[in-house]
Amino acid sequence: MNIPFRTLPQRHLVYAYCVVWLLQFGYGAFVALRWLRERRP
Amino acid sequence: MKTFSKARIFGLIWFGATALVLTIGFYKAMTAPTEATMGNLYRVFFYHLPHTILSFVFPYLNCGASLLYLFWRNRNPTRALAADAFALASAELTVLYASIGLATGMLWGRAAWGIWWTWDARLTTYLLLWLLYVSYLLLRRFAAPGQTAVLAAVLAIFAAIDIPICFMSIRWWRTQHPAPVFGGGADSGIDPGMVSAVLWNMLAWAMWGALILGLRYAVERHRQTSEAAVGLDFVRDQAFSPALEAR
Repeated sequence: MNIPFRTLPQRHLVYAYCVVWLLQFGYGAFVALRWLRERRP
Repeated sequence: MKTFSKARIFGLIWFGATALVLTIGFYKAMTAPTEATMGNLYRVFFYHLPHTILSFVFPYLNCGASLLYLFWRNRNPTRALAADAFALASAELTVLYASIGLATGMLWGRAAWGIWWTWDARLTTYLLLWLLYVSYLLLRRFAAPGQTAVLAAVLAIFAAIDIPICFMSIRWWRTQHPAPVFGGGADSGIDPGMVSAVLWNMLAWAMWGALILGLRYAVERHRQTSEAAVGLDFVRDQAFSPALEAR
């Protein structure tokens, strides 16, 4: 699939996927780091 | 040699499986047939739908854990604390998934309808859901210690009332938001070529949610244990302080 990123719908499709990854993996990394830090003696 | 507990091995396997299913879900979303009227824009649906559905599931986990907390709080404090930790973890995931549901919906709406927002029945009840769980987290963060868990549990039970209203809003009122894609009557449904993309992404984000829920629960349990240890140390210091012994 080719997303040329020229029109508004194409841009919004990319933005939507980026928002999902940013929030999910950002929060996931934040929780994982807290978990790793608390495991230290 | 470094040894791993069974829980850690299970967690690592779960993480690997989730990463694989997320990749398959993304591939399926990008290679599903293009929709006739919206073109490629409709692919937002493959992330919007799983997040919205899961944002209706986590509040029920939160409500169930809150009920268990209230039930156990005087009978079995250890179990009650575990239920409270689970309630907090599920509330955070509700806010995360609902935030994504709102954001992807708005990005989709701007491109498809030409507007970011409208006070439609689904959008309004969904915003209310998001606000209720944000207020739940704020209550937990800023309320005076002592009664926080009880107040949060009561709020969680009331907040869960919004879920069936929000879920049914697109069936009860026909406004701007489209009718249900699945189980919405004779005209509902999607192209069979798109179904596997929906199911893979549903599975992927549910697995990811379960992973983060488990991690967040572990972090909160650790915090509770540390807090209890500090409290015990304080009581011990007070009880055996020289000033007290001199009395």
